[in-house]
Amino acid sequence: MCLMPSSAAVVSEAVCTGRSPFREGLKRFFRNRLAIIGLVLVIIEVVFAVFASVLTPYEPNVMDYKALLQGPSAQHVLGTDELGRDILTRMMHGAQLSLIVGISAVLIAVCIGVPFGLVSGYFGGVFDEIMMRVVDSVMALPALVLALTIAAVLGSGLVNATIAIAVVTAPTYTRLVRGQVLAIKQNDYVVAAQSIGAPTWRVLARHLLPNTFSPVIVQASLGIGFAIILESSMSFIGLGAMPPTPSWGNMVQIGFQFLEIAPWCVIAPATAIFLAVLGFNMLGDGLRDALDPQSGS
Amino acid sequence: MTQYLVKRCLSTIPVMLLTSVIVFGLMRLLPGDPILLLVEGAQTEVSDETIDRLRAMHGLDEPIYVQYVIWLKNMLTGDLGWSFQTNQRVWDIIRVRILPTVQIGILGWIMAILVGIPLGLLAATSPGSWRDWLSTGGSLIGAAMPYFLIGGLLIYIVALRLRWLPASGFVSPFENPIDSFKTSIMPAITLGIGLAAIVMRQTRSSFLEVLQQGYIRTARAKGLSRKRVIVSHAFKNAILPVVTILGIELGALFSGAVITETIFAVPGIGRLLVDSILARDYPTIQAVVLFITLAVVIANLLVDIAYSVLDPRIRQSVSHA
Repeated sequence: MCLMPSSAAVVSEAVCTGRSPFREGLKRFFRNRLAIIGLVLVIIEVVFAVFASVLTPYEPNVMDYKALLQGPSAQHVLGTDELGRDILTRMMHGAQLSLIVGISAVLIAVCIGVPFGLVSGYFGGVFDEIMMRVVDSVMALPALVLALTIAAVLGSGLVNATIAIAVVTAPTYTRLVRGQVLAIKQNDYVVAAQSIGAPTWRVLARHLLPNTFSPVIVQASLGIGFAIILESSMSFIGLGAMPPTPSWGNMVQIGFQFLEIAPWCVIAPATAIFLAVLGFNMLGDGLRDALDPQSGS
Repeated sequence: MTQYLVKRCLSTIPVMLLTSVIVFGLMRLLPGDPILLLVEGAQTEVSDETIDRLRAMHGLDEPIYVQYVIWLKNMLTGDLGWSFQTNQRVWDIIRVRILPTVQIGILGWIMAILVGIPLGLLAATSPGSWRDWLSTGGSLIGAAMPYFLIGGLLIYIVALRLRWLPASGFVSPFENPIDSFKTSIMPAITLGIGLAAIVMRQTRSSFLEVLQQGYIRTARAKGLSRKRVIVSHAFKNAILPVVTILGIELGALFSGAVITETIFAVPGIGRLLVDSILARDYPTIQAVVLFITLAVVIANLLVDIAYSVLDPRIRQSVSHA
């Protein structure tokens, strides 16, 4: 029996078929071709990153002066760089680095941004007002400009770059979660929890927080892509990973010096950045369509 | 309308002030004494008195909040301080860097509009067709393309192989307009592709939404052609979110300028920021970041004003509030 109004179609579909909304979302996700392509791209990057030392016979930092700036060949599929290092090998190790930086930056940003958003949206008032002005101010600054400035303060290096990226992107989560909390805090189950005397932390943690998961997961997937762009840009400028650490950004930076005679030194790592970002963007879009079908795309 | 304008202009003040506090605070949190860094490069031995005098000259011996107030006052009166690195007035350094950034930025922006809006429209008017797939796919790819890849491919193919355009540098339009255009076209394309993708995506989704509205069906039902309905009925409503995006993304253009100006060796604001960060030239970093913020805030203000002209509901809702 199913007599629900069409506005609750998504829920009713799940109720009628006896499947959870999560399983329904999963089904929608796997029906979306673009989302699958995104997932595959992400999986490829993860496999490259995890099995970097197994998949290739070369070491990322071992130089070979007999094979400088060689074009793609059977021995070196994507060629070698100015010190004779195998570019594909360095790209795989670069994948490791970009994933670690991307995921940790997003995790830190979520840990900073979400609690502020919860509290800001739930309590409102002066705190919310101040919080939102701070968020506006940080978001008024272009992301890379602010990240570079923070990195200049903290000093170059990967850990500092990760922190800078996290600080720059955290306000996105604050605003997102605040909006979500404002939309649901008048719902009956929240009011009911308050009226039976549930402590504030419990209302926040049990009733409001779980409702922010879907948009936060979607944003986090897009956020990893954005963090990868920021990290490679910072390494490109010289404020991220330092040579000889294989990072896509500094591979591109050095490669530009040899663009005319060895274009693969730039094109290969730049394409890696492109595919990684494309993968996370498509995955994020797919997750949005699957988890939050009303929002559309 | 006036009330709305005044209100909107006033609302930018706290954002600007807070941003100035953030920028100032960041710079003062820096490890390492800027004065010691300054004298590090000196040829002769520098006495302690000289260091103290330098510190006093740059106002670094005052308490931090006094430093902030003095600094803010100076900024507001147009005195951006002296560069640690070249000992020139910071404003003199920034002034000559504005033109390349603005010229390339505007070119990239126009390109994004000229490519993004028609493609978005094309996709929205035939949803599900191969044209829709092509432009949607194109926007996904464009949005994920890093500046390095576009810039690297352009320099390699157009400049180094075909030798059609110069690979780097910038010529002022007052010196030679044609060469100026030649030097800015590749950086502008590099900068504009990502924005074009975003504009295309927004145009597509907002037209798709508007074209489903009742008044569009009415206009079609009374016998107007598709083209006429899109041009005179749908366009004005559907373009609003696109205008917003164009304003929001102006900040991203500055982020992009940092990378593209480095790739193409353009002496602009972005490259200046990179150079001053690498040289730890704090007065210049501060001034550049504030300059960029000011530009972004003013641009957003202009977009909001344009928005309220396009959409009377915005003015109404504010004046009734």
